[in-house]
Amino acid sequence: MFDLIKRLCQSFGVSGNEEDIRDVIKSEIGNKLNEVRVDALGNLIAVKKGKGKKIMVAAHMDEIGVLATFIDEKGFIRFSNIGGVSQFFALGQRVKFRNGVTGAVFYEEKLDDMKNLKLSSMYIDIGAISREDAEKKVQIGDAACFLGETVQEGDVIISKALDDRAGCSVLLQAIKNLPETENEIYFVFTVQEELGLRGAKTSAYQILPDMAIAVDVTKTGDTPECKPMAVKCGGGPAVKIKDNSVICHPEVRRLLEDKAKQLNIPYQLEVLSAGGTDAGAIHLTAGGVPSGAISIPCRNIHSPSEIVSLKDLENAVKLLTESII
Amino acid sequence: MDVLSILKELSINTAVSGNEHTMSEYIKSMFEKYCDEAAVDSFYNILGVKKGLGNSNSKIMVSAHYDEIGFIVTGFEEGGFLRFSNIGGIDAKILLAQEVTIHGRKPLYGIIGAKPPHLLNAEETRKAVKIDELVIDTGLDAEELKKIVSIGDFITLKALPFSLKGNRLSSKSLDNRAGLCALALLLEELSELKHDADVYVLASTQEEVGLRGIQVAAYKLEPDLAIVIDACHGEISDSPKGEAYPLGKGPAIGIGPNLHRKLTNKIIDIAKEENIPYQTNIEPEDTGTEAWATQVSRAGIPTILLSIPLRYMHTTVETLDISDVKNIARLAARFISKGCREVGDLWCY
Repeated sequence: MFDLIKRLCQSFGVSGNEEDIRDVIKSEIGNKLNEVRVDALGNLIAVKKGKGKKIMVAAHMDEIGVLATFIDEKGFIRFSNIGGVSQFFALGQRVKFRNGVTGAVFYEEKLDDMKNLKLSSMYIDIGAISREDAEKKVQIGDAACFLGETVQEGDVIISKALDDRAGCSVLLQAIKNLPETENEIYFVFTVQEELGLRGAKTSAYQILPDMAIAVDVTKTGDTPECKPMAVKCGGGPAVKIKDNSVICHPEVRRLLEDKAKQLNIPYQLEVLSAGGTDAGAIHLTAGGVPSGAISIPCRNIHSPSEIVSLKDLENAVKLLTESII
Repeated sequence: MDVLSILKELSINTAVSGNEHTMSEYIKSMFEKYCDEAAVDSFYNILGVKKGLGNSNSKIMVSAHYDEIGFIVTGFEEGGFLRFSNIGGIDAKILLAQEVTIHGRKPLYGIIGAKPPHLLNAEETRKAVKIDELVIDTGLDAEELKKIVSIGDFITLKALPFSLKGNRLSSKSLDNRAGLCALALLLEELSELKHDADVYVLASTQEEVGLRGIQVAAYKLEPDLAIVIDACHGEISDSPKGEAYPLGKGPAIGIGPNLHRKLTNKIIDIAKEENIPYQTNIEPEDTGTEAWATQVSRAGIPTILLSIPLRYMHTTVETLDISDVKNIARLAARFISKGCREVGDLWCY
């Protein structure tokens, strides 16, 4: 599973620029399902046909990043964020454009107080000597992702983009070992989640499922002096109760809890006070779709050093599989 | 219909956003008394229909949300204290020394404590209260508590209704059980008036967390016209001008881009003809009500907003004037019966 996650995490796929990661996922699915299609917004929809219930499973394949907005005469690139990028996490990091050009993110040193650091007073240095030189490599409007190696330390994986390639890996593992079932299952790798659940919204409208489950990461409350939250990395997949985008449907929540108990796998209950996930857009689609979510506990979300537990991922695969067949 | 006792009963019922199944059957049977049919959907919205005379194919939706603000259990602290976070907009200041009910395996009584003034240092007295720093005390120790309560259980504020002088009632959750009461009164009025259109009453869910129930219900029903009933701010001594409305002066009729101008004018005309008191509530943009989501459902729905002035919104002492609830039902009923005959012409600008 680690190798799969590494392939997924190291693929480029900043929101709105999901071409590369989509190709990687497409080849991972191969011909294991009845149909694989890409819709108008770029969502990858993989279908296992059947006559039973119509179930949508969603994980977003986009990642946060930056967008080049202006190149000055000395060749320094100004940028804006794509998705929730913290100026403090970004400082001193490296970013990589889709064509492979790598740059260092730094800040205007004449800053009275580090607290006042803003993305607008930061720049990307690609070693260019002039605007013309920089423009040979990077154009305004090009997106770049943060760099962060994918490594394993004991049970945990440390990497960039685990939000939500971790979720994508859970879907792919479930596809790989999908048991016989009557249900018609739509595995959707959504685009532009980080910009406001946009891919989930349009894909759910096409599918109009009877039920939906999103697989995404969630925050934890197990690091030094962090805000209280009863979710731990390594404590098992979390069954979402609510976040800012959705209060999960009681029937879906019960289904997930019951299956976790049946499988005898550890699970946690998640009440997330900030943030949202694809289920938020899906459940309000058309006449409404009862929706829930399986969350992968993840430390340091939206940093290049996100951390998840392999055990949690493996249990999430079991829980998801059992809940949709 | 004894409006006071219905209002009291509706307000002490509990239905925190996302956990409305606790009250959906109660509302369904309330609607069934006056409706041809009533049903609960998968989001616990309750839709009742009262058929018209059959001279028109149009569908009128009259909605009021029935969810209430509340809390959710987020964790356990040593010594048996519960951590919680809010569902819907709550000012943490009002929570100190409140009573609550935790809806666990069985309902459990609890209190939100407050540090005694003797123990507060100078800095703490000036500090704002934050919800994530408050805890609930049930008297049980952590082990016993976990047998009854689980993370994700809902919590409601506990308060009893009481009548103030005049025609005033104070209670929790009058936002928007007062609107729900108006729906029941509307149905009663309509049973004595003739109306062409089919009237759909909708008690909707998850309004307090972002107008969610109405989005799915309006999409499914696809009405030709919508009337949204909700609470607006009642005037108090220091309320900002133009954002709060006096109690007992009649329903506030919303005016602004969120609302259909010609239909709004029509309902104002009807209020004048029928001698029903009313006020106007000018809303330059988002009304913050279900009208905002209803207006842009599918290809668009012409929408009217009627509001009940309510003091101390989102507290345990929400206060209203009962005449406003009655008048909102009278006005909506007469509009549906009288005004709607001309509605076809009114839709185009």
